[in-house]
Amino acid sequence: MEDYKFLFKIVLVGNAGVGKTCLVRRFTQGLFPPGQGATIGVDFMIKTVEVEGEKIKLQIWDTAGQERFRSITQSYYRSAHALILVYDISCQPTFDCLPDWLREIQEYANSKVLKILVGNKTDRDDREIPTQIGEEFAKQHDMYFLETSAKEAENVERLFYEIAAELIDQARSKDGTNVNKTTADAIGLGNFGTKATQNSCCSGFSSNTSQTNCENGNSRSNT
Amino acid sequence: MALIRCCFEPVELPEFFDTFVQKCTDPTCCCGCCSALRPRYKRLVDNIFPVNPEDGLVKSNMEKLTFYSLSSPDKLDRIGEYLYQKASKDINRKRYKFVEIAMEAMDLLLQACHAQTTLNLFVESFLRMVQKLLEDTNPNLQIMATNSFVKFANINEDTPSYHRRYDFFISKFSAMCHGNHDNVELRDSIRLAGIKGLQGVIRKTVSDDLVENIWDKVHMEKIVPSLLFNMQFCVNVLFVKKNLIASGDLTPVEDATHVTPPVLAEEVLRELVGRASFGHIRSVLKPLLTHLDRHELWVPNTFAIHTFRIVMISIQPQYSYTVVETLMQHLDNNFKSSPKTRTSLAVVLSKIIAIAAGESVGPSALDIINNLLTHLRTSVSTTTEITNEESQYQEALINALGEFANHHPDYQKIEIMLFIMNTVPDLSKKSKGDQMLQNILLKSLLKVGTQYSTVSFEKAFPASFLQPLLKMARAPHDPTRVIVMQIFQALLDRHQNEKVLSYVTIKPYPALSQEPPSRSDIIFTHKYGANIMQALIDSMALSDRIESLASSYNTAALLIVEMACGETVQEFLLFILGIQQVALTADLELEVVHKCNLHCIAIALMSLISRVTGVNNLLEYAQKIIDARKEEAPYFLPPLLDPKKTGTTKMNLGLPHLTIDKIALAESLQNAGMDSNRLQTGTPYALNQTDNPAHRHSWVDTVSNPQLPQRNSSADLTAYNADGDSVTSSPGVSKKILAPEYNFEAMKRALAEPSEAMKREQRDKQLQIVRTFREGNFEDLVRRTEPKHDLIQNRLNDLFNSLAVERQITQSDIKTQQLQAEKPIYETNFPELFYY
Ligand SMILES: Nc1nc2c(ncn2[C@@H]2O[C@H](COP(=O)(O)OP(=O)(O)OP(=O)(O)O)[C@@H](O)[C@H]2O)c(=O)[nH]1
Ligand SMILES: [Mg+2]
Repeated sequence: MEDYKFLFKIVLVGNAGVGKTCLVRRFTQGLFPPGQGATIGVDFMIKTVEVEGEKIKLQIWDTAGQERFRSITQSYYRSAHALILVYDISCQPTFDCLPDWLREIQEYANSKVLKILVGNKTDRDDREIPTQIGEEFAKQHDMYFLETSAKEAENVERLFYEIAAELIDQARSKDGTNVNKTTADAIGLGNFGTKATQNSCCSGFSSNTSQTNCENGNSRSNT
Repeated sequence: MALIRCCFEPVELPEFFDTFVQKCTDPTCCCGCCSALRPRYKRLVDNIFPVNPEDGLVKSNMEKLTFYSLSSPDKLDRIGEYLYQKASKDINRKRYKFVEIAMEAMDLLLQACHAQTTLNLFVESFLRMVQKLLEDTNPNLQIMATNSFVKFANINEDTPSYHRRYDFFISKFSAMCHGNHDNVELRDSIRLAGIKGLQGVIRKTVSDDLVENIWDKVHMEKIVPSLLFNMQFCVNVLFVKKNLIASGDLTPVEDATHVTPPVLAEEVLRELVGRASFGHIRSVLKPLLTHLDRHELWVPNTFAIHTFRIVMISIQPQYSYTVVETLMQHLDNNFKSSPKTRTSLAVVLSKIIAIAAGESVGPSALDIINNLLTHLRTSVSTTTEITNEESQYQEALINALGEFANHHPDYQKIEIMLFIMNTVPDLSKKSKGDQMLQNILLKSLLKVGTQYSTVSFEKAFPASFLQPLLKMARAPHDPTRVIVMQIFQALLDRHQNEKVLSYVTIKPYPALSQEPPSRSDIIFTHKYGANIMQALIDSMALSDRIESLASSYNTAALLIVEMACGETVQEFLLFILGIQQVALTADLELEVVHKCNLHCIAIALMSLISRVTGVNNLLEYAQKIIDARKEEAPYFLPPLLDPKKTGTTKMNLGLPHLTIDKIALAESLQNAGMDSNRLQTGTPYALNQTDNPAHRHSWVDTVSNPQLPQRNSSADLTAYNADGDSVTSSPGVSKKILAPEYNFEAMKRALAEPSEAMKREQRDKQLQIVRTFREGNFEDLVRRTEPKHDLIQNRLNDLFNSLAVERQITQSDIKTQQLQAEKPIYETNFPELFYY
């Protein structure tokens, strides 16, 4: 049945070829696509997961790593609840570019966005970036950290489930109290599908909508 | 937090409950009323689905459902919800045929019920359905959903839903615009659907600001690049990015029979731009520029030009100026980019600027000019050495300027020229950078000048323009002078003689086209001809290079062809004698070849004026000299000699019988029955006599001291007395001129031995001149900043009218003016003039 309590938008970023598309395909379709071509512009996937007994819909926007598409990909950052920043553990330059990516995120994404650093391709034996280095970088920049292999399906499920769980926590802490509108706005969670708000169709998660959602939701539950 | 969501689930209600439910105003209160009986609307919905999905929608039952919806509009939302739920299940079970039927039914209901007030609620389900299909990986579902969305977008809803958001649709349609399916045909269908979807969102939202603000940055940054990405691979710009195509992610679409993504994308861009109001233009242009940057579409700039042309022809004309402005700002931001990129940008600018020219008048026009000049200035000042590429950039800017000016009426061209003239650094600035800047700015002035078609010299050379131009005609730097000469040529040449007169000769010019000067030409010659000739003499003395001399000659020749007639011929003869005298003045230390060339020019101009005025006696006299020179001194005859290639040892310059003689000239005129008084009483022109736009005639008569051979450098102060023939009334300025019998030798002596007294007197006068000059200029400023004239032409007229009045103010109000007389000339000359 089409029914979920939360909808979260997740955006993947990172250099071309680090395996963003493969991660998404592994997660949403359970496969490792052979000869995956470079992404053009943006790709979209959806997957509904169940966390703590709640159905969660994940909208996943897989962006192209190529420079020339930067202009359009950036416009997808803003509405993201979580940003997965991917590098390739067997390719130093993709790690070296992380500060640039952080700058972009800083500039275009919501300041409260959940950031996860992912070192992909752990199956490869020509590792160039030790786990610890990645971990430290993540810590320094206030990001979650995980190493994955899209190929071996390692940590891929975990990655998305943890994001979902974390976002639920954030949403609950804001949603339940509704004391601080600005933080609620910042995370911008909406309760997609609540017919009570007549707001279900287009999942507008701009701050205004989420605010309406929270208020209506509360007033309803009070009646 | 508990959310009540029971209505979200299909609620099973017995039919007899219908009335009860209808009374129930709160849709959330019906929970717990479930029953095993199916309500009527559900049965009606179920019946539209065939047993075998291949049979398609059951038409007759669909009619029943439609009829029911129309008669019970309050059920519309439940019908929608139920259809949505059914479709969701079918999607999960991959029963796509049924999904299609559900979607079709929703489309039909939407069309049938769009006038219903309850449609809003149905639309929510409808859009959720569309979204559901778009979310699926099946491309056919996505395309189907888009088609439904487009149908919906074309429906005019009576009550817009303010809370409805289109973020997802814009995001998803934009992603579809970048569709990358292996199957090219399918890929194009997805891209087309994406573009159509975006068009739908635009149509749906653009007219109503209360709904989603489509112009929001977040949206435009998706829509615009998505459209451009598709346009990029249009057949006619295919070659632009061959490498992209080669890399495999893009294949050109060449089939012109059906609508292709590039064609549709272009159409949507036009629509979008056409709907943009003033505040929205930049929201479109910014992502557009970013896209061109990111995809490196400036070099080559075919696509950029194509895109900007589309923008220019689609935009509401009154805003076209903003496009130009934005592009120029982008050029600003690119000041660090390679000259190639900047050149490309400037070329794009030059290609579209003309379209904007028609719409930008007054301040905005000069704004654009000013901006272009600023870019030129930046280019000159930031580059230590002008590379070939950099000068191409400058060239492109100048072309843009020319293009722009070209599309303005002539009276505005004068404004523009005046404006540019005021930005040229004056000759006191001598650094290499200033020199380059002078050249560049004068070149852009020339560009405008060549597009101006002169009718009246009075209009083409307003005093405020002529004066600084004449100063630049004396620039020490050869190329600068040559450009100034070209400006003169462009503005003087009303009969396309410039090419004809480009070489110096004593023979008749074939194909010289001519028309007797008009009354106003003659007045102009009396007023300003002397100033121009004065400047020409100076410029001829400055350099012995053939190119410079030839360009000065060309200007002089044009002046003669345009202005010489019985009434003005004497003035020109004095000018020709002046050229000769420069050659004869020993202490000027001119090179031998330079002197020969000046003799050539003098005799050539004399032949020319004899022919132009048709005074045979003059021509005969000229011929006599020519014949004599042929015998004795062929180097005194054209062609001009190259100083580098000419040996001077055998040249005898001391040949007074071969020179043009003033008295003989006067006799020739008399014999032809013409007045020769002016020639007899006037002095030949001499070097370094600065401008005096006043009537020379009028002060010829005031000659008081034949011992002082100066033509009077204080003439400067009459710059403002364009109409003034009462210069003698200026305090302390005396007009002195040579007595008719004063000959060359005497003058030479006088020049060589100036007395102390003379020097002092001259200094005093100069001081006075400087002061008066400044005051006059301040006065200029006062007038210019008076915010009362809207029309440029009015202002021009006013300018001329006020000149006479001003002179009196200048004289009577000197004290007050002195207080503020320190203002730098530049400030006073600057654009204020144009802002009112
Ligand atoms: N060994 C290994 N290879 C991987 C893994 N993930 C991706 N790859 C390979 O890396 C290459 C690039 O993968 P993509 O998923 O297309 O990379 P991307 O980040 O989406 O690249 P862009 O779309 O261009 O930004 C492909 O050849 C994949 O087969 C992984 O976990 N292990
Ligand atoms: Mg990819």
